[in-house]
Amino acid sequence: MGQIDLDFKPSAPVFDACVALGRRHDRPVAVDTLEGTLEAMGRAGVGRALAYSPHAAFFDSEDGNRLLMEMIAGEPSLVPQFVCNPARDDLNAFATEVAEHGVRAVRMAPMLHGYPFQEWVVRPWLDWLEETRVPLWLPASYESHGSTVDIDPSQVYETLSGRPNLKAVLSGVHYRHVSWAAPLLRGVPSLSVDLSWLYNTGGIPEFVDAIGAGRVLYGSRFPEAPMAPVLYYLHRCGLSEAALTAICSGNLVELLGME
Amino acid sequence: MDAAGVDRAAINCVFYGDAARGNDLVAERVARDPDRFLGVAYVTPRYPDEAMRELERCFDELGMYYLKLYPDYLGRPIDDEAYVPVFEWADDRGIVVMSHSSYVGEADTLTAPSRFVGLARRFTRVRWLLAHAGNGPAGQAQAVEASRSCPNVYLETATSFGQHGAIEYLVQGAGSDRVLFGSDMPLMDARFQVGRIATADIPEDARRKVLGLNAVRLLGLDG
Repeated sequence: MGQIDLDFKPSAPVFDACVALGRRHDRPVAVDTLEGTLEAMGRAGVGRALAYSPHAAFFDSEDGNRLLMEMIAGEPSLVPQFVCNPARDDLNAFATEVAEHGVRAVRMAPMLHGYPFQEWVVRPWLDWLEETRVPLWLPASYESHGSTVDIDPSQVYETLSGRPNLKAVLSGVHYRHVSWAAPLLRGVPSLSVDLSWLYNTGGIPEFVDAIGAGRVLYGSRFPEAPMAPVLYYLHRCGLSEAALTAICSGNLVELLGME
Repeated sequence: MDAAGVDRAAINCVFYGDAARGNDLVAERVARDPDRFLGVAYVTPRYPDEAMRELERCFDELGMYYLKLYPDYLGRPIDDEAYVPVFEWADDRGIVVMSHSSYVGEADTLTAPSRFVGLARRFTRVRWLLAHAGNGPAGQAQAVEASRSCPNVYLETATSFGQHGAIEYLVQGAGSDRVLFGSDMPLMDARFQVGRIATADIPEDARRKVLGLNAVRLLGLDG
């Protein structure tokens, strides 16, 4: 057998940038408890995870964010990420909740919540994110009711290229997105990318070459996907130890302003 | 392949309307690295006479190891009568037939794994290898059921879905002897697809079987 490591463990500290915690209303998920998530993290060698509520993304942002905090219950290895719906949520109330819970990252899901990611909808929210230096996660696609809906890359480009101080992360880039993802990332220097669905051949080294290791983050899409395979792939890309450490955890720590 | 630790790969080319052109490319590539590559034939019953002649050529002259089918390009289901002459030929030879298999919803039924049950029972000398093992969770459930119903059905692991627990589900459902690693190169990265098996929560001997030993046995290769 070739050089395959059947006892693989990551060589760097790992902070997962894309984890969903809790149940979905529309279908079962493979792991929907705090304990199950922590067990999976331990098995894969993931020390910390940035977690959002799928209920917040797929049904009700305010309710889901509340559920997320209940589930995390002070567990230090899970860092909460709130989901907002700029078309419906109250920004002042959301900002208060973010401050109260020390939330360090926000996720928007324009295609799920049915609004265009354009200034005339999201301007006050992006102004606030910029002012508070809270980074924004934008999923490239979501699966809902058996079909996949993709974000409009032109909207992302037009909106974020005018906001160089807003840090954002494009999440869940899929092989169908690679024809536009690299040009988008090159064109928007404030935009990073997570690796949570980047399974195409050479995808990781190509992104590192295109935008540098400093803008690439490990993420898993757990519990939709397991945590370990992307780590395995990442560790076989011939990256320097410094680049590997940055991608596995350092870049996310910096984005979130954590020690 | 080297970066992923893949020693050998079975390669095919389904991307020409003239199947012979793709098969020639495969044969040329195999000839350059016979220790690393195995040839896999492709035919389409869109051109029935050509298909049968091409089968003979691929297996008798080019030394192909098995047959790949891609019914989505034909626009007809895998159990359509158009394929019967091909299956009769394959059954007579007792070869492995790999087909794309996918069921992710009602708009995706041409190669639903449940369709292979009738074929596997009708053409019993064929070893049926279901590429992607049905793809998403609903297709995987059908694929596992097909493997349980028919001892000549095998499941291949490559998928772009990559969902949590998929490898464990296939191995527990079909048995560790009937699941084979596949990468879907060059679309998918073999490092990722190997990682799905290497880190799966199944016994080490099962991982070794899936990663290569089952393919060695199924194709009659030297270990």
